[in-house]
Amino acid sequence: MTEAGATDSPEAVPGFDPEALLPVLRRVIGARVASRPDAEDLVQEALARMLKASDRIDPQTAEAYAITTARNLIATRWRDEMRFRERRHQLVEVDHAPTPEDSAVDAEDGRLMAEALSRFSDEDRALLLAHEVDGVPNAELADRIGSTAGAVGARLHRLRMRMRVEYLLIAEGIDPPTTRCRSVLYALASNDRRRRRESDVEGHLLECDTCYALSTRLQPHETTDDGTVRLAIERDADLVQARQAARELAAHLGFAKVELTVIATAVSEMARNVLKFAGSGTITLSALEQGRRGFRVVVADRGPGIPDLEAAVRDGYSTYRGLGLGLGGARRLMDEFDVVSRPGRGTIVTMTKWLEGNP
Amino acid sequence: MDGPALVSILRQGDTLVASVHTALDDSQMLRFQRDLVEQIGAQRARGVIIDVAALDVLDSFATSTLCDIAEMARLRGARTVVVGIQPAVAFTMVRLGMATPQFEVALDLDDGLEMLSADSASPAPGRRG
Repeated sequence: MTEAGATDSPEAVPGFDPEALLPVLRRVIGARVASRPDAEDLVQEALARMLKASDRIDPQTAEAYAITTARNLIATRWRDEMRFRERRHQLVEVDHAPTPEDSAVDAEDGRLMAEALSRFSDEDRALLLAHEVDGVPNAELADRIGSTAGAVGARLHRLRMRMRVEYLLIAEGIDPPTTRCRSVLYALASNDRRRRRESDVEGHLLECDTCYALSTRLQPHETTDDGTVRLAIERDADLVQARQAARELAAHLGFAKVELTVIATAVSEMARNVLKFAGSGTITLSALEQGRRGFRVVVADRGPGIPDLEAAVRDGYSTYRGLGLGLGGARRLMDEFDVVSRPGRGTIVTMTKWLEGNP
Repeated sequence: MDGPALVSILRQGDTLVASVHTALDDSQMLRFQRDLVEQIGAQRARGVIIDVAALDVLDSFATSTLCDIAEMARLRGARTVVVGIQPAVAFTMVRLGMATPQFEVALDLDDGLEMLSADSASPAPGRRG
């Protein structure tokens, strides 16, 4: 192994003109950081980093490199501030110094956040940063871009969902294989029923292995602190476990006793379908908070699919010994019930029960 | 069965009282069915009471298994009464759309025993024809 003398030699002459990059950096950073002294600090730091890495920078792409560097710096700063804000209440009781593992994880996390942010358009990113970092209220942002507070709120909401998706993609090192993937993943993260339908989310999941694998990690959008439970359905015993988990989580959300039985029974029916027809699958239970509280169950498998969905949901239809109430019965038990199935690809059942008296 | 008994089957006169103590998965349910039908012959039982008060879910499979048990018991010369269906379970069974199940029901164990003994003078319905 040779000493890398040449690579970080300060004498190396950069292949680009630092002076020429200053206006670009000032523009990129100035658009995102409100405080002028802070912005100038970041400009200088970005330039310093570029000079340090000058031998790796192709003069042709120096400007793009500068923009990315600036964005990353801002994102790191944003992240640090967010963390400070999140943990401010804990400051009085800091009882342990961060371990090397902590800082390694934080640094990695910051890098992922920065890369995710770099995938947004300048305007979107500016909006996100202004709101999340500087705490600019929606109404003020609306004034800035000539919109309404409601529209800004909705847009920020979408941007946060996109952020989750991009972060996950980067963290997993995944490049979505089809052009549809992103819109499906966004719809999945937004958990908006209409949007999910329009994007034919389930249909795509059954066709795209990459998105299928990611889907369970994106389901619980805006879940409450009660969190999400994901269980494998592989054996008979899993069926009992699934319905008990459903009962527990739903009880935690405040569902009445009768509703707990209703939910557990619907889960039982769907989990059995998975065992009978697909052999194995997963069940994801999550708490919803969308103006009202609800409980969502997603049952997914990679089985043979249901050839005649309409008949299957109809009462009395059954290809196995039983009362044939599986799909039709579960549909009657829950408030919302959607089945998407593709022959040879699998089936995804999404069902929701809303908590009454919680408008 | 391993661990604590999931189901107990006790004899009381010529009646078998089977109590389900905890949630059963499908294969445990089928084993219960097999054990119970065997016991009916071994104990020469004329009546069977299945107590499901401990069950919080009676889904389509559990219900159809109970129907099968009742029918098998009938073919073995015994009459079956299911007791202890919880209010929430009853509500769910109706909502799920279960047709009136093919077994007799009583509110609790006492009512079930009374139902069977009141009838013990006359032959069980399955033996008539």
